[in-house]
Amino acid sequence: MKQISLKFSLMMTTVALAAMLAGVWLAASDREGVSRAVLLPDRAMTLFADPKPLTDFALTDHQNRVFDLASLKGKWSFLFFGYTHCPDVCPATLAVLARARDNIAKNTVGAEAIEFVFISVDPNRDSAGKLKQYVDYFDTNFLGVTGGNAQIADLAGQLGAAYQVAFTPGIENYPVYHSMSVFLVDPQARYHAMFTPPLDAETISRRFMVLRELERAKAT
Amino acid sequence: MRWRHLVLVGLILAPTVIAAASEAAGVSVRDAWVRESPPGMTMMAGYMELRNNTSRPQVLVAASSPGFEAVTIHRTIVKGGAAGMEHSPQIELTPNASLIFAPGGHHLMLMNPKRTLRAGDRVDINLEFRGGLVLPVAFEVRK
Repeated sequence: MKQISLKFSLMMTTVALAAMLAGVWLAASDREGVSRAVLLPDRAMTLFADPKPLTDFALTDHQNRVFDLASLKGKWSFLFFGYTHCPDVCPATLAVLARARDNIAKNTVGAEAIEFVFISVDPNRDSAGKLKQYVDYFDTNFLGVTGGNAQIADLAGQLGAAYQVAFTPGIENYPVYHSMSVFLVDPQARYHAMFTPPLDAETISRRFMVLRELERAKAT
Repeated sequence: MRWRHLVLVGLILAPTVIAAASEAAGVSVRDAWVRESPPGMTMMAGYMELRNNTSRPQVLVAASSPGFEAVTIHRTIVKGGAAGMEHSPQIELTPNASLIFAPGGHHLMLMNPKRTLRAGDRVDINLEFRGGLVLPVAFEVRK
């Protein structure tokens, strides 16, 4: 019995040591990652080699301020299309984005130069007040945006965000279909990258931070 | 040394005994939860892991709850790059298998909660199966 337990504890110690070493190595390669990284194409993030400049549109945010092309300039923006009567995909996505924002804020300076925007494709039910209540719940830094159908269609079209509102007068719970992707717009208001589900806060924040470093290096 | 043999026999038998107990239960539910919703929102979603412990298919046909005006079985589907919800009139559970209701997939759509539900609260939902089996399940509200 004694012999066995001694062998076993030796084995466990070896496993624990190996795990610790692997952890240290991963942490080190992660630190290095930012300066030397190359973003490889993968399923989580589609990166556009030639970011597409967006053209003007006019929407309104949850405090009834104008949200247009100028609002996107000078900061990175994560855009997600949805609606507040959405119990499944939208809350799950916004919770992930809130965690991603926390990660970015914790790890880097300049988190204030990032905007997370929830764009409702259902202006019929989503007033500014309702959007404020909704986005504030996930993160008080989030912006809720909506507007006229033509303007929503314009911005969604520029980003290739599919959606469909099967609005039926007199029916309270009409179906709404919307893209599950998160669109990343750079500080020059260019459509730069897209995150596709399954979305994960750690993946989004890490990829974003690497991308931002690369873009900063390019700019200088 | 005798006790070690007894322990061994016990270890081998335990899963059989547990399996027999669940077989009697027919369908069991694990990890049942409802996502806490932002204030003032009338739509919530419930998730769970359903397990059919019998050797026959079991069919979930409806759900109801004293805590909500209406409960329907829904599934998030993706159509032309856009996600939407589709009502599922019924869901068949394969014999001796699990089916997971999870974000982005099957869920119970919970409409108009009768009181504000906050993380940590519990809410009862009755799952109704073909043949008359009604399974009351306590769902935990989570953030």
